[in-house]
Amino acid sequence: MKLEIKNVTKKFKEKTAVNNFSMELQSGECVGLIGPNGAGKSTLIKVIADIIDPSTGEVLLDGKKISKMKKEIGYLPQYPNFFQWMTAKETLTFMGQLSGIKREELLNGIPEILSKVGLSGEENSKVRTFSGGMKQRLGIAQALLHKPALIVMDEPVSALDPIGRREVLNIIKEIKKDTTILLSTHILSDAEEICERFVIIKSGKKIEDTTMSELLNRNSGNKINVDITSKSQKWIENVKSLNFVKGVEVMGNKLKIEVEDIESNKNMLLANALEHNVDLVRFEIDNDTLEEIFLKLVVEK
Amino acid sequence: MNNFAVLAKKEFVQMVREFKVIWLPLVFIFLGITQPVVSYYLPSILEALGGGQGITIDPSMAAQKGGEVLASTLGSQFDQLGVMIIIVSMMGVVQSDKANGMLAFILTRPVTVGSYISGKIISNYLFVACSVALGYLVSYLYVVFLFTSVDFGDLIVALLFYLLWILFIVSFTTMISTIFNSQGIIALISIVFLLGCRIIVGLSPVIDNVNPASMSKHAMEVLILGTVNSQALWGVLAALAWTAVTILITNIWISKKKFNNE
Ligand SMILES: Nc1ncnc2c1ncn2[C@@H]1O[C@H](COP(=O)(O)OP(=O)(O)OP(=O)(O)O)[C@@H](O)[C@H]1O
Ligand SMILES: [Mg+2]
Repeated sequence: MKLEIKNVTKKFKEKTAVNNFSMELQSGECVGLIGPNGAGKSTLIKVIADIIDPSTGEVLLDGKKISKMKKEIGYLPQYPNFFQWMTAKETLTFMGQLSGIKREELLNGIPEILSKVGLSGEENSKVRTFSGGMKQRLGIAQALLHKPALIVMDEPVSALDPIGRREVLNIIKEIKKDTTILLSTHILSDAEEICERFVIIKSGKKIEDTTMSELLNRNSGNKINVDITSKSQKWIENVKSLNFVKGVEVMGNKLKIEVEDIESNKNMLLANALEHNVDLVRFEIDNDTLEEIFLKLVVEK
Repeated sequence: MNNFAVLAKKEFVQMVREFKVIWLPLVFIFLGITQPVVSYYLPSILEALGGGQGITIDPSMAAQKGGEVLASTLGSQFDQLGVMIIIVSMMGVVQSDKANGMLAFILTRPVTVGSYISGKIISNYLFVACSVALGYLVSYLYVVFLFTSVDFGDLIVALLFYLLWILFIVSFTTMISTIFNSQGIIALISIVFLLGCRIIVGLSPVIDNVNPASMSKHAMEVLILGTVNSQALWGVLAALAWTAVTILITNIWISKKKFNNE
């Protein structure tokens, strides 16, 4: 399986929702599509799911047009909606039959998938009575039912409470073992938990395609946070005089020390502190939090 | 099961769950009873009311033939209130699927637009046609009981003509439901257009030949005169052609994904 998104642009009248977007997805990958509200995530995902046609560009699955490969794709909309009058089982039977699954297969497949997403016992409840989280799970069940090679999910956890979020993330972790996944979210830490690779989209453009560790390394700023107790305050002057230290910020007993090269200097600094019998409370490399990195990327670029 | 069967079956189940399967036939049975009963009792009611004031009752009215009464069931009941109720019962046929995203969702599965539309039109047409036929049959029973009997062959021929007009109503409403997004607008456009078609019937033979609503006129003529109008074939072809056009437009509209309100 290989998904190719080639120079996809989607214009709504004047507005360009997706702008010349390209990326490739290999079999077994799990990619998070991250972007702020209105970035064009849903639009791009709808193009991939063949719900809307791109203005220019194309999406290929195994080299074939996506419209000919619908059996190989499972799609979870941002706000999954089903026929209110159907039960969970009827919904899955309906969608399953439309995907071309045989009746006998569905007989076994549906209870299996319902227990996988934590909906066993609800098979005969009407969708009308379902909470948002239950609909989300039914949506996932529906996307998985026909065992597609690629699952595309639009904000699978954004609308859920912390408990539902946790459960759905666990389900996704589970299915990731045997399927290729592309999911969108505006919460970086959700993506971090399940995906190795990130594609960041802003105003319809791809601004980053990277992995979590790369992102963190790139954004660490050669700074070390050191917390000391007040009786070691005099060490601060000593630190300032070290030749590899470029600057020190002092906030009470907390120091933020900028060095020339974090790799080689961090242990030298620690040795120096030990040498002076400094009463250390904390010693760590200063990393931007994911939130800070995300903000930097989408606000500044 | 192929996709058409799955989608058509879903429509039938939905009709049952939403009780449409009960109320639409009941409406047509009621409309079917109204015409013969009112025609039968109206003279005596008028007489009783008008009693001493010297209103004379046209004797021909009291002595209507069965075929004429059944024809007015089609012309006065089904073609007015009946058509409106069909439209209202069908205005959401595609619109509601668009509104809640199910149309887009269904089309993410390997489903052709053709099987989606045929699933909609064939199931809804079968159901509406059965409701109409049921009302018509009940009307026939009352007519035979209260007036004179109607030739069975004429009864069936007239029904077939009429059901062709119903086919156009169903496909036209489906098309409007696909194109527009507000139920009010859908109902308004369909009612104005379809009743308009019906009203202009009889104004000009040329228009009649291309007007699907002329099917209703031919049905009534069969019941009243007992003969099929020689021009009826043109009307049949026109009704079929217009139905095909509406289905084609619906198909193009959905295939081009215009329903995603771009
Ligand atoms: N049908 C439409 N007609 C006109 N503009 C649209 C349409 N759909 C989306 N847009 C515009 O395209 C842009 C991208 O929308 P999209 O829904 O893809 O964003 P998103 O990244 O999914 O945002 P969110 O996180 O809020 O779901 C938005 O500015 C939106 O206004
Ligand atoms: Mg979105």
